[in-house]
Amino acid sequence: MPDMRFAPPNPLRIADRASGLNSLSVRSHNERLVLSLLLQNEATTRLEIGEKTGLSAQTISVIVRSLEQEGLVVRGEAQKGRVGPPTTPLMLNSEGAYSVGVSVGYRNTHIVVVDFIGNVQHQRVMPHKTADTFDAPEALALEIHQAIAGLSQSRQTRIAGVGLALPTPPIRSGPDHDVLHRYLEAELGLPVFVQNDITAAAGGESLFGAARQLQDFLFFYLGARLHGRLVLNHQIYNGNSPLSYDVGVLALERALPAGDATAEKLWGQEPSWPPMGAPLAAWQQACAESLVQLTQSLLQFIELKTVVLSSFVPADICAALCTLIRREIPSVNAVVGRTSAAPKAVGAASLPFSSRFMVN
Amino acid sequence: MTRTVLCFGDSNTHGQIPGRGPLERYRREQRWGGVLEGLLGPGWQIIEEGLSGRTTVHDDPIEGSLKNGRTYLRPCLQSHTPLDLIIIMLGTNDLKRRFNMPPSEVAMGIGCLVHDIRELSPGPAGHDPEIMIVAPPPMLDDLREWESIFSGAQEKSRKLALEFEIMADSLEAHFFDAGTVCQCSPADGFHIDEAAHRQLGEALAQEVLAIGWADA
Repeated sequence: MPDMRFAPPNPLRIADRASGLNSLSVRSHNERLVLSLLLQNEATTRLEIGEKTGLSAQTISVIVRSLEQEGLVVRGEAQKGRVGPPTTPLMLNSEGAYSVGVSVGYRNTHIVVVDFIGNVQHQRVMPHKTADTFDAPEALALEIHQAIAGLSQSRQTRIAGVGLALPTPPIRSGPDHDVLHRYLEAELGLPVFVQNDITAAAGGESLFGAARQLQDFLFFYLGARLHGRLVLNHQIYNGNSPLSYDVGVLALERALPAGDATAEKLWGQEPSWPPMGAPLAAWQQACAESLVQLTQSLLQFIELKTVVLSSFVPADICAALCTLIRREIPSVNAVVGRTSAAPKAVGAASLPFSSRFMVN
Repeated sequence: MTRTVLCFGDSNTHGQIPGRGPLERYRREQRWGGVLEGLLGPGWQIIEEGLSGRTTVHDDPIEGSLKNGRTYLRPCLQSHTPLDLIIIMLGTNDLKRRFNMPPSEVAMGIGCLVHDIRELSPGPAGHDPEIMIVAPPPMLDDLREWESIFSGAQEKSRKLALEFEIMADSLEAHFFDAGTVCQCSPADGFHIDEAAHRQLGEALAQEVLAIGWADA
């Protein structure tokens, strides 16, 4: 029997084993551990990776080298520490991977393309012909093709996949979720990852947004209705809860006098809403009360420090709601989400990254 | 706490001046080991173990068995233990005509040294030290009067970096390709000059620090 110490080495560099980003190569658990840390932190060091994963410095060295060669990771300038030797930070290469996110909502379908650190590169809104109805998978595929075509040739080869955020229960009229999933996968030739839309939005804030680096937070999505998700240790709890509260934009729309022209503005990604007087104030109060109650009921069980409110409604409205939460519950920091351009679509775009690069 | 680094190499670690006689050597602060020491600063001790003509694992039929890196490495490690990091930069002499070795076999020789280090565990408290394999910069085409000794080595020397990196990946060791920061001197085509020593020392200082050392 030969001495296996001197058997030939694996004939390929680790970085060469994956033939490009689009081959769905299985990444080792250790590679995913390292990428998870990089996705959850703006910059880290090989020392920190070792401390958090328990991997040896030499194992990390091999993994980081292969990630550098793949262009997923870049080295920052060495930083002089207050004590000890200077450290070299590692960070994701923002141009290392791209992802497409699609969310099918009540009124609109949103399409975004984000880079590896969540910067939105492209954004489109497809309004539905009728609210609560989605019947245009072909038009959606075309929009995605066009979104991808907006990237340079070399970047197009670095698309990790398409994330699809869909509501639970499903929208009233539209293709079955599985059918849409398979159709897009076949049509685009890219892996498609499906998730509940609210869970995806929470994941987007966790990976790219206000909650990056936060292990635990309570997430609210304010859309047609108000939805909540709890994130503990970077894991989103109760992923598919269909429970929601009727204090969202739909409630505000109902409260407006019939035929009020401002109703249309509520859904249109406006930077600010026109004055609406008493109905807006009352709605804001009711919405804040719901947010406070939901947060307080959870505080009995969990010591939460952060609430993230994500929404397409104007930033000043969200900020006012956050102020009301903070006033009622001073121990909690309520902040507005950073993916507000299209929280559910950006969240959907985080799915290919988390599925392909992170540990579960 | 002082960290100790052993630089295990050949004439290019010894500091042999390109195109000059065998006794002409750069001063310590000119050699890459000295540059590394200067940049890492207090708290680091650099031990240079560079022997001209050293091979990875071969007794040299002409220059003698003392050139065999493998037989010298064990007593060398035990002499200097505890060692935090061992940098190995060898391989050029294995490409001499007399050994008739393909680049992959030279990498196997490097692999032997890594195994031998891990068998002895000369790190702090009997642990494995960190090991960094450094691929030497490729030889130039014109080797002057050394052509007959190295004939055919130039082409092979350009393949060492890939073979060494494969070995480093496979054995989970740190790796650096010196050819990315410096070149051999045209004076003889396979030794590195003072500027190259500095470039290599500076690059290796970055690599050593990037390993990530817990505060003492």
